[in-house]
Amino acid sequence: MQAEIIKNVKFGIISPEKAKRLSVVKLSIPDTYNEDGYPIDGGLLDQRLGVIDPGLVCKTCGARAKSCPGHFGHIELVRPVIHSEFSKILYMLLQSTCGECHRVLLTDDEIHGLQDKSKKIIALEVEDLTDAEIADNAAEVDEKKGGKSVLKKIRSAKKCPHCGAPQTKIKFSSPTYFYMGDKKLKPDEIRDMLTGINNEDLRILGIDPDSSRPEWLILTYLLVPPVNVRPSITLESGERSEDDLTHKLVDIMRINQRLAQNINAGAPQIIIDDLWELLQYHVTAYFNNETSGIPPARHRSGRALKTLAQRLKGKEGRFRYNLSGKRVNYSARTVISVDPYINLDEVGVPYDIASRLTVPFYVTAWNLDKAKELLARTEYPMILNLISGDGKRKRVIDINHDELLAAVKPGDILERQLVDGDIVLFNRQPSLHRMSIMAHRVRVLPGKTFRINFCVTSPYNADFDGDEMNLHVPQTLEAQVEAKYLLAVQHQVFSPRDGEAVITNNEDGITGMYFLTKDETRLNKDEASYILGIGGIYELPEPDKDGMYRGKDIFSLLLPPKLNFETKTAGGMVRIVNGKLVEGVITKETYGKGNNKLLIKIGMEYGDEVLKQFLFLSSKLADAYVTFAGVTVGVKEYTTNNEIEKAREELLQNTFRLIDEKISQYKNGKLEPLIGYTRRESLERRIIVDLNLAREKAGDVLIRHIDPQNSAMQMARAGSRGSIFQYEQMSMFLGQQATLSGGRIKRGYYTRRVLPHIYEGDVRPSARGFVQTNYESGLSPIDLFMHAVGSRGSEVYKALLTARSGYLYRRLSNALQDLYIEKDFSVRDTANNVVQTSYGGDGMEPVATQFAKMAEKDKK
Amino acid sequence: MAKEKSSDFKVEFGEPVGMIAAQSVGEPGTQMILRSFHFAGIESAIATSGLPRIVELVDAKKRPTTPLSTIYLDAKASRNIDDAEKVAAKINEVRMGTLVRRIIENFAKGTIKIALSRQELESEDMTPRQVADRLGKLLSLEVAVEGLVLTVKTHTKNLKEVRAVRVKIMRSVISGIEGAGKAIVQKNLKTGEFYIISAGSNIEGMMGIEGIDKSRIYTNDVFAIYRLFGIEAARNAIARELQLTLDEQKISVDLRHLLLIADAMTASGSVKGVGRHGLSGEKKSVFARAAYEETVKHLINAAAFGETDQMRGVTENILVGKQIPIGTGSVRLAIKKEDMSKVKP
Repeated sequence: MQAEIIKNVKFGIISPEKAKRLSVVKLSIPDTYNEDGYPIDGGLLDQRLGVIDPGLVCKTCGARAKSCPGHFGHIELVRPVIHSEFSKILYMLLQSTCGECHRVLLTDDEIHGLQDKSKKIIALEVEDLTDAEIADNAAEVDEKKGGKSVLKKIRSAKKCPHCGAPQTKIKFSSPTYFYMGDKKLKPDEIRDMLTGINNEDLRILGIDPDSSRPEWLILTYLLVPPVNVRPSITLESGERSEDDLTHKLVDIMRINQRLAQNINAGAPQIIIDDLWELLQYHVTAYFNNETSGIPPARHRSGRALKTLAQRLKGKEGRFRYNLSGKRVNYSARTVISVDPYINLDEVGVPYDIASRLTVPFYVTAWNLDKAKELLARTEYPMILNLISGDGKRKRVIDINHDELLAAVKPGDILERQLVDGDIVLFNRQPSLHRMSIMAHRVRVLPGKTFRINFCVTSPYNADFDGDEMNLHVPQTLEAQVEAKYLLAVQHQVFSPRDGEAVITNNEDGITGMYFLTKDETRLNKDEASYILGIGGIYELPEPDKDGMYRGKDIFSLLLPPKLNFETKTAGGMVRIVNGKLVEGVITKETYGKGNNKLLIKIGMEYGDEVLKQFLFLSSKLADAYVTFAGVTVGVKEYTTNNEIEKAREELLQNTFRLIDEKISQYKNGKLEPLIGYTRRESLERRIIVDLNLAREKAGDVLIRHIDPQNSAMQMARAGSRGSIFQYEQMSMFLGQQATLSGGRIKRGYYTRRVLPHIYEGDVRPSARGFVQTNYESGLSPIDLFMHAVGSRGSEVYKALLTARSGYLYRRLSNALQDLYIEKDFSVRDTANNVVQTSYGGDGMEPVATQFAKMAEKDKK
Repeated sequence: MAKEKSSDFKVEFGEPVGMIAAQSVGEPGTQMILRSFHFAGIESAIATSGLPRIVELVDAKKRPTTPLSTIYLDAKASRNIDDAEKVAAKINEVRMGTLVRRIIENFAKGTIKIALSRQELESEDMTPRQVADRLGKLLSLEVAVEGLVLTVKTHTKNLKEVRAVRVKIMRSVISGIEGAGKAIVQKNLKTGEFYIISAGSNIEGMMGIEGIDKSRIYTNDVFAIYRLFGIEAARNAIARELQLTLDEQKISVDLRHLLLIADAMTASGSVKGVGRHGLSGEKKSVFARAAYEETVKHLINAAAFGETDQMRGVTENILVGKQIPIGTGSVRLAIKKEDMSKVKP
């Protein structure tokens, strides 16, 4: 069944005539079911409004529950009411037209002088921004300035330029009250005024009279949505519970009935007016229960009713929840775990999942034999469903197996179980960038978790502490091809953000490489064979004279044969000549996240596939070697000696002395204030700078004193885990603790001090959250408190930041999502406005920047 | 496949560059640090940085939270600290409020007595006489001096009016350029050049000062640049400010993405933010606006004015379940009707 393709959507107001055409039944009884539990004819659940219970037949169209779209009914209101959602627009119209002749309050000359742009001004005015919003957005203010004068002219007109009638000011009070001078305008009077506005004048005001005549907004003929829109639910107790909309409609009908009775009985005008107003209230609440100026209608429980506007609005509304938020079949979700032995572009899929997910097999005249062969299978990679040409899906079971086998013909689609090599999409939320969804090849494995290579955790930002991920099976050939050639892992190694690699070796993958490629690493034949064997390489490099193999040579086996590469790192030069690492140690700087010139080089010269294989093999090799070499970190690594203790003490004393000097300078009024800061703030800033400096110096002290063989330091040097900063925290001091506001902590106990142990107004480091103890020696009670304050702050801050940055991201992506590269390589939005004539000025991909830098270096 | 020629790196037709730009700035947003403890310099300590600054820029806020200008000096002043200080003094904005130690209104007599702070006067290098003259000129009122105490005669005994004069006094600019903020001479440690940074963005006013290098003046206030130099300059300023902010956080984002954001914000000819009142709120499509924010308002207006949604954008097509017209979705396969019949399933 091919659905109609929507080309465009025209918005408008339903005219009474159209409403009459739409309605199938006039509803007159303000009730739902009779005593027998049967829908009342002419009640709100009249069976002509459509059926929702399975088995019943619709009295209007004769279709059953699934195919009956539902039909509108209507209520005839005895007195007209205003559609409250539009009252601001009505107000605008009443203000800008003559009370007598209903022409727009502009002379013919002025009308001619109006530009298309300023027509919309009137529409803009309706949006009624707060002053703050206007001030915040200068662009809008600019735009409005042009039209404000026209608007002012309209509003300040004392006399109609057409008929010369004097104008009485129209006043409006939310939600539905209009006054002409002191006289209250009844809806039917307003309708008469609106009817008088001619089509030409409406066009001047920016309104399309063919789709929206304003008088249609005064309702007499109220459409009632079909029951499909407001289904009643049966509770377990057998009790019926009605939808909020039905409740509201019952209210409207009740009042409508009472109003009719009172009018017929000739009740006094005041009673009729009261009831009329009540009817208006109910209709207002029916459209939007959060209209300002009315109390929201409530359930007996006190919960506010969810009426039409509430259904559409906000994150859980129809638009964002149901229409933008699509749900899919052919997907799976489970916990992820590591498998260093599967390739980067593979994903381990548990059998339980692989046996339930399916891939379509399109039967044609040319693959009929293969189709039959597949369909004949009775175990694992078998056919689960057969979708015949007419779209009927049949489950393949023992009973109909032979029958289907005989009936399968070109045009049918077979749904086959997932097998090794199928292309699937793999995703982890939050999907913050395009590398959050990548295409992998399936590897069906035992177990219950998805397995991925460790190298691809970083683009997904995944770890294995219980993370779950989603898997989707593309169902059309186009989707599969697109996945394979655009979304596959090997094509996503370099981030479009800055062209750096996001898929790299991590942690042990770097530590291992560092140890393997150190100058002194030499292995005997057994060891070398073992390591290479794990990496899947079955040849040995040239041995040294004494029969030992150099680590660098073993690493070189992974490199493309003719690679030439050179880079400068903190640990010295790294030089690869003709595919051989001749100098330097491989660390994070050449090979890990952030600084990956080697990966860029390989990716540029040998392509994605070679790069992927290099990453995979080197991670296996590194893991093997790090296991073999053994790296361990314990308390021992962080225990300090007297020398370091002394240096630490000295450093702290010096810093404190420096700060004490500044404090006394401040007290003598000799401290020069910083630009834009008071003297007190300047002192504060200076102290913070000094304390930061102290921490930097602490790092230098450590580097000078620690044994270079210390494995924590080795890992820091390799770049795989930890840095000198962590070491400082263990062996020197924790340093200044931050607070949410960014400054040093200053309050907590009464005024101007953190704890009762501190003097009031003390600004010295120790009084304001500078922790001078370390993890190894343990924290002093005050330091512990300060540290806890800092930790709490950063936790709170993290929650705050994610919310803020999430909103920024939503706004950015919403504003920019329509921009794309047109065939002429200009950047346009979907309304065909040119945003850039050439992307980035040169039409190059961002990835190119990194490659270009590389190429430039090669030339030199 | 190796990539060798520059044409191997051309963007491809259909590439959703806007979305990629949004991702490139949005994704590292969570990594940004607001509380920067490790500022070494003074400039960075003053300006808003990190996520709040990015938000401020893409929102096209009329005035930055911390306006800041860098004023370079001409050949003479940039080499000589004394000349530089003289220029800075001309720029440095001193408001009466900072000089006042105490201010008392006498409503019965209609006078206002002001006690000046000796310390502040000294630091601004001014005498009470100078302050009084300047104040008298600004208010066109008589100002008497007695030591550190100034007396302003207001010619009125109306309570409100006296109070109004008091407010005016506190706000009046005694010296320097209004909106220039505090100006301080800095030295570039590498070149030895002197320059001025000021905590304001009235570069228009600053450019009138003798001794500055007009071609190198810079401010972080995008709108100040827009007003003075036009939309192209504003576009560059947005991209540059975004880049500076991200660089400071050690987040590398290709300049292309930032330029695209800046271009999208300025393509209409005026600076527009990305939010509800900017780019997103001005989209052509009713559905796109309704799905973003203020759903009901957009639908109601669309109905009242009889708008038509052409279903060309991304959001609209997602809503109705059509393929989006971007990327691989922008490619159509054309086949003649008569050829269709030749194709058998």
